[in-house]
Amino acid sequence: MTQYLARRGIYLLVQLLVVATVVFMLLRLVPGDPARAILGDTATEEQVARVRHQLGLDQPIYRQYVSWMADVLRGDLGTSITSGRPVATDVRDRLGNSLELIVLATALSLIIGLPLGIIAGLRANRLPDFVLSAAAMLGLSLPGFVVGTVLLLIFALRLRWLPQTQFVEWSEDPAGHFKLVILPVLTLAASTVAVIMRMTRSSMLEVVRQDYIKLARAKGLSERTVILRHALRNAINPVVSVVGLELATLLGGTVIVETIFGWPGLSSLLIAGVRARDYPVVQGVVLLIAVLTILINIAVDIAYAVLDPRIRVS
Amino acid sequence: MAEEHKTHEQIAANNPLTKLWIPGSAISRRQALKLGGMLTAGSVLIACGGGDEEPTPTTSSSNGSSSDSGSSGGSGSAATPGATETPSQATGTPKRGGILRYGLSTDPSNFEPHVSTGAASGAVKLMVYSTLLTYDANGQLIGDLAEEFGWVDDTTFEVKLRKGVTFHNGDELTPEDVVFTFERIMHPDTAASIAGRLVALERVEAGDGNTVRFHLSTPLATLPYILAMNPSMIVSKKWIESGVDPKTTMMGTGPFKFVERKPGVSIELVRNENYFISDLPYLDGITFIPMPDDNARVTALRTGTVDFIDYVPYTQMDALAQQDGIVLQTDKVLGFGWLGFVHDQAPGNDLRVRQAFAYALDREKMVQIAFNGHGAPITGGLIPEGWVGYSPDLEGTYDVDYEKAKSLLQEAGLSGLTVDMLTTSTYSVIQRPAIAAQAELKNAGIEANLIQEEWLTFRQSVQDAKYPVHVWGTAPDFNDPDFLTDYIGSSGSFAKQFHFSDERLDQLLTEGRQTTDESLRHEIYHEVEKRVLEILPWVYLIRREQGEAMAEYVKGYTHLAAGSWSQITLREAWLDK
Repeated sequence: MTQYLARRGIYLLVQLLVVATVVFMLLRLVPGDPARAILGDTATEEQVARVRHQLGLDQPIYRQYVSWMADVLRGDLGTSITSGRPVATDVRDRLGNSLELIVLATALSLIIGLPLGIIAGLRANRLPDFVLSAAAMLGLSLPGFVVGTVLLLIFALRLRWLPQTQFVEWSEDPAGHFKLVILPVLTLAASTVAVIMRMTRSSMLEVVRQDYIKLARAKGLSERTVILRHALRNAINPVVSVVGLELATLLGGTVIVETIFGWPGLSSLLIAGVRARDYPVVQGVVLLIAVLTILINIAVDIAYAVLDPRIRVS
Repeated sequence: MAEEHKTHEQIAANNPLTKLWIPGSAISRRQALKLGGMLTAGSVLIACGGGDEEPTPTTSSSNGSSSDSGSSGGSGSAATPGATETPSQATGTPKRGGILRYGLSTDPSNFEPHVSTGAASGAVKLMVYSTLLTYDANGQLIGDLAEEFGWVDDTTFEVKLRKGVTFHNGDELTPEDVVFTFERIMHPDTAASIAGRLVALERVEAGDGNTVRFHLSTPLATLPYILAMNPSMIVSKKWIESGVDPKTTMMGTGPFKFVERKPGVSIELVRNENYFISDLPYLDGITFIPMPDDNARVTALRTGTVDFIDYVPYTQMDALAQQDGIVLQTDKVLGFGWLGFVHDQAPGNDLRVRQAFAYALDREKMVQIAFNGHGAPITGGLIPEGWVGYSPDLEGTYDVDYEKAKSLLQEAGLSGLTVDMLTTSTYSVIQRPAIAAQAELKNAGIEANLIQEEWLTFRQSVQDAKYPVHVWGTAPDFNDPDFLTDYIGSSGSFAKQFHFSDERLDQLLTEGRQTTDESLRHEIYHEVEKRVLEILPWVYLIRREQGEAMAEYVKGYTHLAAGSWSQITLREAWLDK
């Protein structure tokens, strides 16, 4: 295990270096000038040139890269070109909010998706399965901006149960915060539930046809034990990898939900950064997302081993 | 039914701005200053004699006069169904107290006072900082930090500062702060938004008796407007020199003090107890809440979780206008769109082709397609009614005429022209007219391949003249026709991107900028408009309706169709609840 972690640690560094380099280069290939973004419509060419110089954007790319890398290695993500705030501060503030949404949405998806998937798998091609599969298709195919907007219209505008107010921290106003988190989490969970349910269903379907399940039943074990101890335990690994994938996708992919519900998360910071060609912000956020994605993958690997003793992390 | 919705074409129509101009040569300095003061006296927030006078809540009078002129409103107001009700927003005595919750369309990128970062951040900054001049509820230029102002001679403008104005840190505003501000603006490192407009500014000096003088190398008739623009906000010399980062914090002489910003969450302002206009502001504070999603912002207003929203999407205007308890304030004067060419490349280098584009557009139809009717066609000149240079005789110069367009193209040997037309997908107010134009051009046999790029990519492509035709849109920075210089004067940032220059236009625009006589200026800009329609540096498309919506109990605010949608009247807002 220790060896595994050490090796993954080294991989992680290499992967980060690659990600950092690719992001740095790609950003500079995208047309659009950060100086122009800062200065607005009526900036003169001289002003744009001046600001480019101030930002060091007139330096050769390799030199910009080396100086940014040197800063990153010292743990300094730089300062946002547009806001003037340290990237690390912004990223830290937003990361917590993003993680909250993602973790809650994933937890909710597991709570709902797992049992429903089991039911659908056990009742394959019968009515409950049809109903659940149809619902899952709907959840998967409805884009987040539709689900979010509809939820907003129903719960905020019509019923007025969950009005869209200013974002408040958990620490300031737990009840108010809870009210705010419901709709975005539901929006995110709509598709994640479907993904988890479908994966659980097909995985279960495969497992319950295996001989050892027949044997377990033949031994007279209760259905509950058969399903939970024997079938689910063996069906769960594909679900775990799907959950890992979903988590990683959500990390940078909650922008629509964040925009609709005014949730100050990482994705909206990233998008604002891309729009303004705020290189340090985009680089910082992408690096962080890369770190987290790699960590999630490691966690998934470890979870395999925990759930299935036949697998060893190596 | 509270279908309240005023368009401010009427205000612009009655705009007496031009009366400000004082022919420099004939008047002594004292007279000029006095006259400057007198001219501001007609407006609401006068502050002669130390600024102790009780400010009158403004919008009742202004709304009254503007609604009187109801149907005499600007061009094409008929295109907006259900948008002409009389506002009843400013009745009653202002009440003190309450926090205004403001749903802001964009989370400002920063607070730098001298670099414009869009209308949303401008609205925030303008509540904390003050400018020397500003606009009243009629869109008329008045003093803000200036108690009196006026031309001493053709190239000297003098501003007398109000006495006893203090910054939020308690320091008194001095002429040195004003001098410092303009030195900062003119310093190349600041890259200030208005620096390009002030090339004629030689120096700013503090005079005696709380006065500041602007010395120009050549006459600059637009100087007072520039002094009223958002990015000419006055900063404290001491404060800036203390090493603060004005991108992340604010400290000025405005009606509200900056408390805190939580990025992406809120910007909190609290009442400035020592604001130089006594009694103002009425509110205890303003909380700006970034709500970039149009639906969410409108929903927040409709459900009462915010009191006020900016940038009302045209798709929601009808719904909001019909909802009880919500008031919409918009204009169709400022925002406009155009079709631009690269003038040294085919096919835009051929006047007949540009004319063909101009004739090929049924702009009435475009207003419907692009903005559900929330706009107005531009078939003549661009300068709106009520401004210097407004030319009603040119209306209809380019009424739709598909056949004429076709024959012009034929003459040019380009029948069945296929052309790449660039626009941006980032802003629907630009994108939708482009889509509408594409459909229209087909009627004249022009096949436009619409290329839609993300905003900064689009900007770069226009800059690089990557495509022969583009569709763009914006709004003038102030209520003076000199704003055209930026687009059609050869030194203008847009003209450079069009690869356009015309000696005659340059000459006229320079004359206009250097002439202070109103009727002469009118002649000059009429000529400009005529010349533009003759040689077509660009083809005008349509105007768009833009404005704010608020709960009925928000009183005192007036949407100005003046200078970059200045939201200065927000300082007069109060809550009637």
